[in-house]
Amino acid sequence: MLTAGGRRVRSGATLLLAVLLLAGTFVGQDDDFPFGPFRMYSTRDDPDGTVVSTRVEAVDTGGTLQVVDESSTGLKRAEVEGQAGRFRADPDLLGALSTAHDRLRPQELPYAEVRVVERSYRLQDSRPTGAQTERVVARWVRP
Amino acid sequence: MTGAPIGPAPAPRWGLTRWLFSPAPLARVAVLRVLLYLFIPVDVLLTTTWVRAHAQVPPELYVPLRIGRLLPLPTPGPWVEAFQVVLVLAALLAALAAARARLPRLTGWLVACLYLEWMVIAMSYGKVDHDRFAFLVALFVLPSVGRASLRSRERHEAAGWALAMIALAVVATYTLAAVAKIRFGGWDWVDGATLTRAVLRRSTPLSEPLLEVPILLQAAQYGLMVMELALAPLLLVRWRDPRWTWGLATAFLGFHLMTFSMITIIFLPHCMALLALLPLERLTAREAERVPV
Repeated sequence: MLTAGGRRVRSGATLLLAVLLLAGTFVGQDDDFPFGPFRMYSTRDDPDGTVVSTRVEAVDTGGTLQVVDESSTGLKRAEVEGQAGRFRADPDLLGALSTAHDRLRPQELPYAEVRVVERSYRLQDSRPTGAQTERVVARWVRP
Repeated sequence: MTGAPIGPAPAPRWGLTRWLFSPAPLARVAVLRVLLYLFIPVDVLLTTTWVRAHAQVPPELYVPLRIGRLLPLPTPGPWVEAFQVVLVLAALLAALAAARARLPRLTGWLVACLYLEWMVIAMSYGKVDHDRFAFLVALFVLPSVGRASLRSRERHEAAGWALAMIALAVVATYTLAAVAKIRFGGWDWVDGATLTRAVLRRSTPLSEPLLEVPILLQAAQYGLMVMELALAPLLLVRWRDPRWTWGLATAFLGFHLMTFSMITIIFLPHCMALLALLPLERLTAREAERVPV
């Protein structure tokens, strides 16, 4: 059996965890990890709106267009989307993805250009209408 | 604390305290330790290799979380490659220590701190996942139980508390995710097109046809909300009852498998923590009968 002290310490830890978790859930943000809100898929998409899917494309120095996956640059799509605002404000940051690619895939041709492309799917009653648009939201060209 | 022969406190009478400190088998803690520590190499080297890739990402893309700004944690860089080896070796050592009931606190808390730092490296590049809160809680509470042998037949309050905390964390992951949906998506989240977006972005051959039947995806949103808000708390009340726990744990594990088949997202570390709700002590019970402790 536990001593009274052992029980007190554990009760305190339980209370602390509960308070942090509830605070994170109701007023916290991702920044408060590991106590932030459990917000994966928590936003609502309008059934008659558009759904955006982001990808990173690169053109290598040989002129070939590549769809860049996480193993080529070390950033997942969701991470690129999480930093999309920074990339838009300062497209030079995309040069860092090219640097990461040089390190992760030294055997491949380096990137001459990196761009973030947003594809929007139009929905009607939660069903894709087939209408899609694409937009380059940030572009970096090797100087 | 654990197993201290002097001065045991009288059994708690108040409901919540009684729930927290209801004695549980030490053998379950031992089995769970071995399973969770052995899962870490799988996680680090096979199933979430993107964390390691952050080693090569230039520091300007590092967006430190609050925990990374409060604690003097280094900016990830090439050292992450070496760190991953240290983490895997520490986890293997902790698994061995758990199997032999040696140094559980030292090895366990070392792994917990290393894995937390691994998670900070994982989540500091613009995306935070919530698939391993219960796993992290398990890593931090399991060492508190102290020595626990795989063949032990004893039940202890310390084991009860650790397992209750993991159960709480598992349930919170569901229920507070529903709260987050209401907070960020509003009460009409269930009538939105969130799952349509999920499938559009990460479709599989199984889920793609569902885009043509939005009513099914919408029904799934209602189902998810009911599961997270109502079914998960039931787990908290009933997880000590073997008649319920198997059914509920299987249902939740099945849910995660289904999610994986639809949008290729699986909460593997969370599923490992879910195992805490099952009578894992039975795995070693037969051996315990042969080799009396």
